[in-house]
Amino acid sequence: MALLELKQVTKVYQVGAVAVHALRGIDLMVEKNEYVSVMGPSGSGKSTLMNVIGCLDTPTSGTYILDGKTVHDDRIEQSSNGKLSDDELAFVRNQKIGFVFQTFNLLPRITALHNVELPLIYAGIHKKDRIEMAKEALRKVNLEDRMHHQPNELSGGQRQRVAIARALVNNPSIILADEPTGNLDSKTSREIMQLMDHLHDEGNTIILVTHETDIAKHAHRVVHFLDGLIASDELTPKGKG
Amino acid sequence: MGQLFESVIMAMKAILQNKTRAFLTMLGIIIGILSVSLMGTAISGIDEVFENSIQGMGQDVLYIQKYPWFMMNDEWWEYRNRPDIEEEYAEQILERASTIAFATPSSGRRSDVKYGKNAVERVEINGTTWQEAYISALKLESGRFFSEPESRYGTRVAVIGYDIKTNLFPDEDPLGKEIIIQGNKFRIIGVIAQQGKFLGLMSMDNIVTIPLKSLQNIFGGRWGVSVSVKPKEGVTVEQAKEELMFIMRGLRGLKPREENDFSINQQEAFREQFASIRMAISAVGLGITVLSLIVGGIGIMNIMFVSVRERTKEIGIRKALGAKKNIILFQFLSEAVIISLIGGTIGILITVGLVGLLQKFFVARLSIDLIIISLSVSVITGVLSGIVPANMAARLNPIEAIRYE
Repeated sequence: MALLELKQVTKVYQVGAVAVHALRGIDLMVEKNEYVSVMGPSGSGKSTLMNVIGCLDTPTSGTYILDGKTVHDDRIEQSSNGKLSDDELAFVRNQKIGFVFQTFNLLPRITALHNVELPLIYAGIHKKDRIEMAKEALRKVNLEDRMHHQPNELSGGQRQRVAIARALVNNPSIILADEPTGNLDSKTSREIMQLMDHLHDEGNTIILVTHETDIAKHAHRVVHFLDGLIASDELTPKGKG
Repeated sequence: MGQLFESVIMAMKAILQNKTRAFLTMLGIIIGILSVSLMGTAISGIDEVFENSIQGMGQDVLYIQKYPWFMMNDEWWEYRNRPDIEEEYAEQILERASTIAFATPSSGRRSDVKYGKNAVERVEINGTTWQEAYISALKLESGRFFSEPESRYGTRVAVIGYDIKTNLFPDEDPLGKEIIIQGNKFRIIGVIAQQGKFLGLMSMDNIVTIPLKSLQNIFGGRWGVSVSVKPKEGVTVEQAKEELMFIMRGLRGLKPREENDFSINQQEAFREQFASIRMAISAVGLGITVLSLIVGGIGIMNIMFVSVRERTKEIGIRKALGAKKNIILFQFLSEAVIISLIGGTIGILITVGLVGLLQKFFVARLSIDLIIISLSVSVITGVLSGIVPANMAARLNPIEAIRYE
């Protein structure tokens, strides 16, 4: 069974009197340990897709199953858990999703270590274990020596590595990276992408949203979006090799 | 547990980052709690003073007097035509009554009292008999009350109140000393223990008590008195009052249809009067308190809305990482409660200081109960004013929140 399965997913936003069809029926399957890039112009629906996959938003219709868990299925009555509540979605995000954002989205005024601890706090993990796990995650991104620094004392690349450590720390089913190099210079971007490649080698499943072809090439499969539909879905040279 | 702890820590960090703002917000609560605790202190102080001063009257004592204690201004004209209360009534009542243990006539005049260079002006000089000691349940600080023979012969002896003692004898023992009243020497044989004052109520502290006969001798002539009566053990005040009414009507020769031309007063009347004063003070105090707490609460609510707005992005990030609604709610609710609780604590500390100062002029005591009540009130205010902003934070859409700059 696929790790992630979307069937005929649509998303309609109501902006004033106008209905905006952000997703017009998406079918997508991602297997465990796949490395997928999502590309497309702005407004093509790729951000909406990421929000749906990341359980930050729910589809208007269709079915979404993540790691065996039915997140949304409009064939099932609402009362029998065809649609998850806000708190249930929060639980799925906490347990199964690791987010990496373009703007890092670290909390200011708390240390790198504390930032990495946050998902574990919300998972209800005991303090002792929590600190060990957070340190281990920071070790994986080579930032162990910086863990007591606050985000404003770190460079952009370091901040993004803290964010990646935070995404990794609860062993998510899937890592969602939304333009992870968008705010970084080319050298730092390369470092971050090397880190992403390494995480994939270690068995993680990664979905990467980008509009840079160079970055997209790191993945094994590229999905192109256009006007709320998948325009193409093909393997990259890396994926074929 | 860890999540709630994290929420409280984050709430405290948020307050520490905006100390000035938090303090200004607290001001409303500080004033509110200050008025809660000051009001409570004042009322318990008033209660205490009232109980102290009413004690001198004796719980079950009845007073036969020309005028009732509380009357309308215009009623006075009706009562003034009543005949005076005669001092002989006391003995006649004791002879006839089966429910009365003691009865004594008393009367008062004002006079300056001197000792050496010290003098107190216009002191209430109360003339009574030896039975007064048993009727009023007076507590003596030192010495004794006058005896039956001293009453009967009008010996020049005096029992003085606490204030008289401190004014005339700042640093000596008054017992055995002679004070001058209306040019006559009186030997001090007793000092009454301190009682405290209450809203202009007569206080035993500022009174000199001498035998009634001596009073009549030095002021010359006889005049109307008040007769104080104490029922026997095991007799209710009502029973005694009923018998007293019957005897008095007989002494006055009243026909069955005629109205009483005397009043029988009792402590009860003071209690009723006091209860209405206390009620008025409490109502005004409660009004001020509630009003200031509402203002303080609105202040907190306002600043919490600002705080939620400022940290919208933070809320979005926390939600993306798996924070549930209640955790976000709790974080902002604890921020409001902490602000309010700190404000309340400061308010209480100020009250403690003020009470210390007030004690020099007035009986004031801050009870533990009152501190607990004040702190609970500030927690409740915090919850009430924080719940709406916190709920708003908890319901934020994570996608919109995380994009908020």
